[in-house]
Amino acid sequence: MANLTRLPPVVIDNGTGYTKMGFSTNSEPQFIIPSAIAVKEGVGVKPNRGLDDLDFYIGDEAMNAPGYSVKYPIRHGIVNDWDLMEKYWEQCIFKYLKCEPEDHYFLLTEPPLNTPENREYTAEIMFESFNVPGLYIAVQAVLALAASWTSKSVLEPNLTGVVIDSGDGVTHVIPVADGYVIGSCIKHIPISGRDITYFVQGLLKDREVGIPPEQSLETAKAIKEQYCYVCPDIVKEFTKYDKEPNKWFKKYEGINNITKQIYSVDVGYERFLGPEVFFHPEFSNPDYTESLSYIVDDVIQNCPIDTRRNLYKNIVLSGGSTMFKDFDKRLKLEIKRTVDDRLKQSAELSNNRLKPQPIDVNVVSHHMQRYAVWFGGSLLASTSEFYEKSHTKAEYYEKGPSICRHNAVFGVMA
Amino acid sequence: MDRFRMILLEVHNRAIYEALCLRFEAAVKNQKPESTKLIIADFDGIIYHLSNPNDDRTKLCLSILLHFYKDLKEHGADELLKREYGSYLIDTPEADYSVSLLFDLTNIPEDWKDLAMKASLLKRNCFASVFEKYFEFQRTGETGHKTAVIHYRSDETLFVRALEDRVTVIFSTTFKGEDDIILGKVFMQEFSETRRKYQQAPQVLFSYKNPPAELNDTNAIVGENRGYVTFVLQPRHITKQASDNTINMISMFRNYLHYHLKCSKAHMHQRMRSKTNDFLKVLNRAKPESKTKPEDRKNIHGKIMRQTP
Amino acid sequence: MTTTLKPYLNAVRATLQASMCLQHFDSRVVERHNKPEVEVKKSKELLLTPVVISRNENERVLIEGSVNSIRISIAIKQADDLEKILCHKFMRFMMMRADNFVILRRKPIKDYDISFLITNTHTELMYRQKLVDFIISFMEDIDKEISDMKLSVNSRGRTCAEEFFKQF
Repeated sequence: MANLTRLPPVVIDNGTGYTKMGFSTNSEPQFIIPSAIAVKEGVGVKPNRGLDDLDFYIGDEAMNAPGYSVKYPIRHGIVNDWDLMEKYWEQCIFKYLKCEPEDHYFLLTEPPLNTPENREYTAEIMFESFNVPGLYIAVQAVLALAASWTSKSVLEPNLTGVVIDSGDGVTHVIPVADGYVIGSCIKHIPISGRDITYFVQGLLKDREVGIPPEQSLETAKAIKEQYCYVCPDIVKEFTKYDKEPNKWFKKYEGINNITKQIYSVDVGYERFLGPEVFFHPEFSNPDYTESLSYIVDDVIQNCPIDTRRNLYKNIVLSGGSTMFKDFDKRLKLEIKRTVDDRLKQSAELSNNRLKPQPIDVNVVSHHMQRYAVWFGGSLLASTSEFYEKSHTKAEYYEKGPSICRHNAVFGVMA
Repeated sequence: MDRFRMILLEVHNRAIYEALCLRFEAAVKNQKPESTKLIIADFDGIIYHLSNPNDDRTKLCLSILLHFYKDLKEHGADELLKREYGSYLIDTPEADYSVSLLFDLTNIPEDWKDLAMKASLLKRNCFASVFEKYFEFQRTGETGHKTAVIHYRSDETLFVRALEDRVTVIFSTTFKGEDDIILGKVFMQEFSETRRKYQQAPQVLFSYKNPPAELNDTNAIVGENRGYVTFVLQPRHITKQASDNTINMISMFRNYLHYHLKCSKAHMHQRMRSKTNDFLKVLNRAKPESKTKPEDRKNIHGKIMRQTP
Repeated sequence: MTTTLKPYLNAVRATLQASMCLQHFDSRVVERHNKPEVEVKKSKELLLTPVVISRNENERVLIEGSVNSIRISIAIKQADDLEKILCHKFMRFMMMRADNFVILRRKPIKDYDISFLITNTHTELMYRQKLVDFIISFMEDIDKEISDMKLSVNSRGRTCAEEFFKQF
């Protein structure tokens, strides 16, 4: 486009639960909608007549479309139904973002360990159906690292670090070295936002009687989001609460959906006990006892030895469930303790002849944590390097979809 | 099926609408305004900028950049916008932008939803000026005016001309890629054929590569991948009551066409996927069934190793 | 037209059956290698004379046989521009998934739309008869699918136009 200043690239982050989309350079996505699509049951792939295949809804509209069945084209971060995914994108672009895909570069995201074939399929759809001029497929964890550059505690942008990505469903711990995910060392933890909500709900159920049963989950969620924080030490926190209950106990007021009356709930220990689930998973899940800090340490210990120091130095949080106040401080404290113990032990084993260099542990928290992946994408897509690293349409037609198997890392001075 | 949702494109900009609603609602509820800085694109290379002028969080400025605004200005876009937006329109638009609206968040009217909707129609209203002007020419019989030329995209142009008994609107559009050229041809053919069944609709003509004769005096481009679509609007389409709808439809036509070209291709992919699977099933019948299972051998970690034949 | 389809397919089937007698054959050039001779074309005496079976100008099949492999290339009917791009798109789509179609060649040979390469390994692991069936059913279905797709494009265009005009 000769006489236009370049239109902003489109950034779409398709997650398992929600899709975040918007234009690059913005600090928040324009739309956050469920990654759901509602289709009419029984309409096969081959309606020969007309536009029957356009009879579907996506996002929030899909959730309450009567007579349609709701499907999720993405499972565990990976696209498993390309037909639905293609339709989903079609609507994202034309109905939500209202942009002509021929005019914008696109940045899409993928989970770590996505298959190269999936990248080819994505490229096929983007270039052939939508005629996009350029496409870049970025790994979500790498984008989360890029998003952390806004934090003051990050001195120089680099793409080595451990990403703790915790959403509503599952928590991943993903080590990244120089922009490449160390796939063999990724770990998943069955503890996430939903478990905390259930845990808070359980505590409230035992004590509070005023909550209407059908609103108890909703209430627990609201309390979690408004009042919960992470404490440095539970025992101390308990005594603190007992000494000065007026200062620490809070009141939550909700409105009964049916009677429209206000009910109030005392919010007490669950303020810090909720997020504590991350550090003592046995609170909510008796079968699982390894704390988040232990897992992070374990992940780093599994990584190649020359990356470990840098990984400890840059532990980055991403996703809504890492938003609790002081989450970063507690995590840092615990990991630091484990690391120092290990160093001390090795010093003792050598009868103090070896003095190991202390290891720097740093947990990075920032404002964009909730949509860190999208924000990282927006950030990278607004650099001029993005246009150089993207795969162009001309390249695609010359060499084929295989060009999208590899997406060069960029954003830092190599 | 909800035709407006699925088949036709919405005229207003959803992102702008939602962003404004969010902020207006917060303002009405007297919440502390947050700082805003958004860049939002729209069809036809349009960029919106939503921001707080001079970092004043109680004000919200919505600016639009149309690269062809000078074309529209010639046809009275300023007056139309003044009429539509009244005091919200500010005289000197934000630097680099064509038009700016300013909202005072401390003084948001009760019907803020309508206001947000109206603001999200900014692009449509900019476009409307040229149509309204030529519709008016036709109604009053002023036919001598030269053809209006709007370069609405860098390589696509819109021509509007008022004649004694009709207004003609001609679009030039470019199809990118060989597939689109051919699909576009098919679609445009269907448009001009289907029109016969709908006598109330404007007549549609299309020509390929070469611009229609009406454009001989303009410098319309000739090219392999260009199509020209002519709408012949009869007086009944441009009456005061009908004109709004006509403008909506005509101004969205280009995007409507391209949207459906893309949907068609998406649908083709779906068919190909399902057919490819069918073929694969036929081929797999050639593989003896018992072969697949015993080949699963486990490696030292207990993972199944699969050998490709 | 349809009356000529049956004999055409029968001729293809008979030729395929006859040429499907493949055996293991060590490469003469590289020790301990086994290369499909029809592709390398290094030794004349291992190749059979290629056979072209054509139904009309546009539709034909080229069958090249050799001692350990045969190559089947198909030219598909393309009546107009739209069919041409549909065919081109579809074949490219399939060839991108050639990994799953064990016998599909990733590129067609010149002047044809799609090529299959069957080697002796394939005939040892799979039923020959069923492989022939696959080629035949592919040829039967592909024409139908392309003309269906063409119809669907036309009808989409029409519906699109109808919806647009209904608004006036």
